[in-house]
Amino acid sequence: MLVRSQYKPGPASGAQIRKDRGQNGEEKWTLIVVRELRHSREKVWDAITDPAHLREWAPFDADGDLGTAGTKVKLTTVGAPAPRVTETTVTRADPPEVLEYKWGDFDMRWELEDFGGGTRLTLWTNIGRRFSAMGAAGWQICFDVLDHLLSGVPIGRIAGPEAMKFGWQQLHAEYAKQFGIETPNWPVKARPE
Amino acid sequence: MKIKMTSIYVENQDTALRFYTEVLGFAKKTDFSNGPYRWLTVASPEEPDGMELQLALNNNPASKAYQQAMFQQGQPAIMFFTDDIKGDYQRIEARGAEFTKPPTDVTGSTIAMLNDTCGNLIQLTQLARWSR
Repeated sequence: MLVRSQYKPGPASGAQIRKDRGQNGEEKWTLIVVRELRHSREKVWDAITDPAHLREWAPFDADGDLGTAGTKVKLTTVGAPAPRVTETTVTRADPPEVLEYKWGDFDMRWELEDFGGGTRLTLWTNIGRRFSAMGAAGWQICFDVLDHLLSGVPIGRIAGPEAMKFGWQQLHAEYAKQFGIETPNWPVKARPE
Repeated sequence: MKIKMTSIYVENQDTALRFYTEVLGFAKKTDFSNGPYRWLTVASPEEPDGMELQLALNNNPASKAYQQAMFQQGQPAIMFFTDDIKGDYQRIEARGAEFTKPPTDVTGSTIAMLNDTCGNLIQLTQLARWSR
């Protein structure tokens, strides 16, 4: 059984970015993260909608269940230096297939497909190109933790500053390379826009 | 212990970043996201490792009320020091900024005030040179 201190993310894999054009021709970047899980869609659905499950793996806390369209839910970002609470209305909830709401300004679309007796979970989020590698690294770690949770061997949420202790920086650098994004070295030097 | 950072509340961080870099001429230093939380700072190109200014999202009713009251009273939310206030005034105004006070001599300094379009007044200050 894996314990939390032994957890290490694998190489950056499972995320991509896609560029679309908005109504006014502006660039719209979407981060797409896919994870294949050896668990039923019903079980995965509970994990992405029930606040008690989300608290075990997600990068936010929810003050209500996300599983019903029309519900208003407050989401609190985990580990932000100042409280960041955003309210969203669940715009689509078709259990156990599709879930849509917003996290801050980002659209969140979850899709659950049958896959070899398990579930292929896909997240689309329009996080913007600039933050796509940060988001991809964060979600990869969260999905690892989700996988352990669903398998009955929870290792505890790893989000926000905790992720920095578990190899987030390395993942971020790998995704930035995959996505063709320049990575600043922290601490960064000021540079003109 | 050092004083390395101060914060200013802004209505919109994208708009603020454009104003503080393209109009005022500062340089982006850190831009970090944790979900919808965004840590965004700029620094002066004259002092890239000097003081940083955090452009913090104003999503708190208390800070909004404070910001609006200070703005209405004509109180600056922050001051920047310059060695060439007339030159900076011309450069910044040419980029479209609205000055509520052109360079004006006051005791010990020359000051100017402009609207940062993010809810704040900014004061530019050039200290008078003292000769003995």
